[in-house]
Amino acid sequence: MWAKLALKLFAREFRRGELTVISAAIALAVLTVLTLSMVTERIAQSIAQKSSAFIAADRVLASNHIISTDYITQGESQNLKTAQMMYFDTMLFANDEMQFSSVKAASSAYPLKGQLKVKDSLTGETKVADGGPARGNVWLSESVFYTLNIDIGSQVEVGAALFNVEKVIVEEPDAPFNVFSSSRRVLMNIADVPKTDVIQPGSRVFYRQLYAGDEDDINQFYAWLKPQLKENQQWYGVKDRQSPIANSLDRAESFLLLAGLLGIILAAVAIAVSAKRYCERQYDPVAMMKTLGGSRAMIRKIYMLHLLLVCAMAVCVGLIIGYALQEIATNYLSQSMGTTLPMAGVKPWFVAISTGVICAVMFSIKPLFDLFDIPPLRVLRRNLGDRLAVSRVHLGMSALTVFLLMWLFSNNIKITLILFVSTLALIGVLFLVSKLLFGGGRKLGLRPGSSWSLAIASIQKRANVNAVQLISFSLAIKLLLFLIVLKNDMIADWQSQLPSDAPNAFLVNITDNDLKPINDYLAQKNILVSEFYPTIRGRINAVNGELVARDVSLQDNEKKDEEARAGVGRELNLTWLESVPPQNDIVQGQWFGKNAVAEASLEESMMERLDVKLGDTLTFLIGAQSFDAKITSVRKVNWATLKPNFFVILSPDVLKDFPATYISSVRIEPEQKRDFSQLLRAYPTVTAIDIDNFVKQIQTTISQVSLAIGFVLAIVVLCGALVLISQVQASLAERMQEIVILRTLGAKSRLIKNATLYEFLLLGSLAGLVAAFFSDIALLIVQQQMFDLAGKLHPHIWLIGPLAGGMFVSGLGYLMIARTLKQNTQGLVRALG
Amino acid sequence: MSALSQLNIIQVNGLSKVVTTFEGELPILSDISFNVKHGESVAIVGTSGSGKSTLLSLLAGLDTATSGEIILDGEPLHSLDEEARAALRAAKVGFVFQSFMLVQSLTALENVMLPAELAGETDAKEQAIALLEKVGLSHRVDHYPSQLSGGEQQRVAIARAFIGTPKILFADEPSANLDSKNGKMIESLLFDLNSQHGTTLILVTHDEGLAQKCERVIQIEAGLLVANNTEGVENVG
Repeated sequence: MWAKLALKLFAREFRRGELTVISAAIALAVLTVLTLSMVTERIAQSIAQKSSAFIAADRVLASNHIISTDYITQGESQNLKTAQMMYFDTMLFANDEMQFSSVKAASSAYPLKGQLKVKDSLTGETKVADGGPARGNVWLSESVFYTLNIDIGSQVEVGAALFNVEKVIVEEPDAPFNVFSSSRRVLMNIADVPKTDVIQPGSRVFYRQLYAGDEDDINQFYAWLKPQLKENQQWYGVKDRQSPIANSLDRAESFLLLAGLLGIILAAVAIAVSAKRYCERQYDPVAMMKTLGGSRAMIRKIYMLHLLLVCAMAVCVGLIIGYALQEIATNYLSQSMGTTLPMAGVKPWFVAISTGVICAVMFSIKPLFDLFDIPPLRVLRRNLGDRLAVSRVHLGMSALTVFLLMWLFSNNIKITLILFVSTLALIGVLFLVSKLLFGGGRKLGLRPGSSWSLAIASIQKRANVNAVQLISFSLAIKLLLFLIVLKNDMIADWQSQLPSDAPNAFLVNITDNDLKPINDYLAQKNILVSEFYPTIRGRINAVNGELVARDVSLQDNEKKDEEARAGVGRELNLTWLESVPPQNDIVQGQWFGKNAVAEASLEESMMERLDVKLGDTLTFLIGAQSFDAKITSVRKVNWATLKPNFFVILSPDVLKDFPATYISSVRIEPEQKRDFSQLLRAYPTVTAIDIDNFVKQIQTTISQVSLAIGFVLAIVVLCGALVLISQVQASLAERMQEIVILRTLGAKSRLIKNATLYEFLLLGSLAGLVAAFFSDIALLIVQQQMFDLAGKLHPHIWLIGPLAGGMFVSGLGYLMIARTLKQNTQGLVRALG
Repeated sequence: MSALSQLNIIQVNGLSKVVTTFEGELPILSDISFNVKHGESVAIVGTSGSGKSTLLSLLAGLDTATSGEIILDGEPLHSLDEEARAALRAAKVGFVFQSFMLVQSLTALENVMLPAELAGETDAKEQAIALLEKVGLSHRVDHYPSQLSGGEQQRVAIARAFIGTPKILFADEPSANLDSKNGKMIESLLFDLNSQHGTTLILVTHDEGLAQKCERVIQIEAGLLVANNTEGVENVG
């Protein structure tokens, strides 16, 4: 019997719209989490797959010593795909010409991830190769054909062996992004290496084992491998490599995480507000039912069933809409990315359903318990029970719930704690501010007939209620402003790093004599070129008179293999400059003065590796000549800007007399490729490193991620709007009594509407102003701490915040009150019950 | 059940109600004792704040007394917990309130059915339709409270009060929110149904005319029972 009554009441309450906001809020929480989780997971998987192409595998085991093939056998037995590679430099001979080239010898499974693109002839179409070269064949990069004056079908000598030139290498997925590495590239089968006899004891060879497979399998394999790894062996995935893509992805992930968390907080606030309001509106029916003999148990069952139904319906709706939205989003992203996104797993569904249920239960349970406690005596004493509405237990439970949800969603206790504690602090400050604002100025009297007086009096009268409203309005506006500004800053930062005319090739090894004619040629052909930097090969020999080898442990040196090769203990590319390069910031010390003598500026990670400080003296060795330079500045280098950067820059006085070659970056448009090829033919000593593909991949990734972020932001804005709607709705309910009295006393609708409009305008503007203040502070901290962006203030949001807050809140309040006032006074009285 | 209980449907002995306020303890009712016979109609009158509504709430088991006892149809109301009191109300008591107290989301018919449904009765709908006919609202069964006039809402409330044929009907200022025409209609409806069903009627009112229609008037002033007679009371309210 109770179930029938419960269903009837539920249907009626639903039809009357009493459950609309709470259902919408739960559904929004679910769809936010589902959409965000699914889109993020699918994009992350896709990007991870694409990123894996940068290393041609999911993981790489690298060493400068031969690696045991037992690892390969074990990997394959654990369902992993494997490949082996070796890198070494050697001379290539053909037609009495010779060329120093970089050889990559790979097993036939290479590449495990990404595509190896080749051409069958120098003028042929680019196509994707199915595996590497067969035994006896080599594939060469285009520049090698020109320097050796050979064509497809020619024979080249590598060491003691003769090879047939089969294809032109157009693009290797894992081509090293190192401007100083050679672009004369040779790809051969690893099984052919022994017959070349080029690997001799002491030869400089780099070994790689490539692994690809399910993340679980990889992790299991690594668990087996880890105890056996030697000091000279390094295990890494694409995320472990410093690259602009990894950096952008980390930021995007952080943003999506943050946006999701804020979306959940907003939806949770909306649920809490609407659940409390719903329960308050049920006080009278519950008191009546108790009076008429309804037992507490029956009432509990009725309303628990309501909660279950609301929860089930809202979760289902949220899942359906969320799934549809993520499908639309991922389809759109797939099209723009020109790829299909992998399907997400079950985790997003689990997290979304859990979020919905936790939100529904935790934010409704205390108001529901209050509802069950409503005494039947309320039928005679109408205000009985009103004070049960707000309690510390409810606030505590809500806070705990928000914390748990944030933790569940982010799976990151640090971010959860930062956001949670800062939000609590914000609420505390806001509460104090609002108490001061609303508590003060009570001298302002009510001047009959003035909407402004009525609005101000109304705000002051409801100091506590308005404090709560101000907090929720501010919170919603703050989170929205915060995300919008952060998104804009982040995307602007990416775009500034990689504008559409970003360099897509490096020119290295330009001699002093070739510098002017090359520069002239590039200008003549309208090829965009950046500055030319002089480079001189040298090494740091000693720090404060002590040999470097003593300062840098073998282990460190081996572990930071890539970086170490670029710098410490080995040959470095040194440059001398009069001014700080554009993408560098001095973080310690001062840049060289006009008359600087023997000074050095070091990149900050180099400082760490050398374990040196400002004022230390470095001894450099160039050829047989050595000289000392004192460290006078430390630079933070933005490696993401695809322009030449240097670990060590010296003052002009010490280097300018050494013979240097020059390096620069250029932007080559498709129609300029032929002109560029001619330049390379004309200056065979100059090496060009094509990074077009790399730049394109970064730009595509950034645009995809920007799209995803925009989409996520739209969902969070919806959550914010819902909070504002639920809060305005709740506050209007509180105003009804007063409206009825004013109407009964003869106040015109216009006076009431304007008073409400002004009241909400004041509240909204104030909330917007406070929100702008806290957003800007939060942005300053988060941009620096989480996103590694330059922190800056955003004066425009100080205007936008109050304007948007005032307009949105007052507009919403006005619309809702106007609808209410359409009823005649008698109707209003009846609606009041 | 004693002979006194068989005669009286309500027995009140030494009933007191004290509430605690910021200023200290405040007596609302002090040492009230009276009996009500089966089928009797009793008006409780008194000035505003005299304690008459509190007395009604105690008699109906909506609130608990500080001391004293109430026997309601043989059940010691003062010793029952809230759930037992609710069950007793479901079985034996009907209510009519000044502010109608209809559930806004239910239609007139559903509001009338509500007590029967709460009591688990299976013929709630038939009973409700019959009662709505009696109060002249058979054409308004599917209307919601907000679609009814004040008089109509109170008629629905009266129909609801009589569903399940309660032994006792408590009415709190049943015509106070209505104009005189509707007020008279409601009063006559209340007394007619009362006599038809043989229900005991306890009503709280300021209205001297309405009080005089009852067989007995109990006057409360400052929490004390000052008159309990069948002669009527002067200067009511």
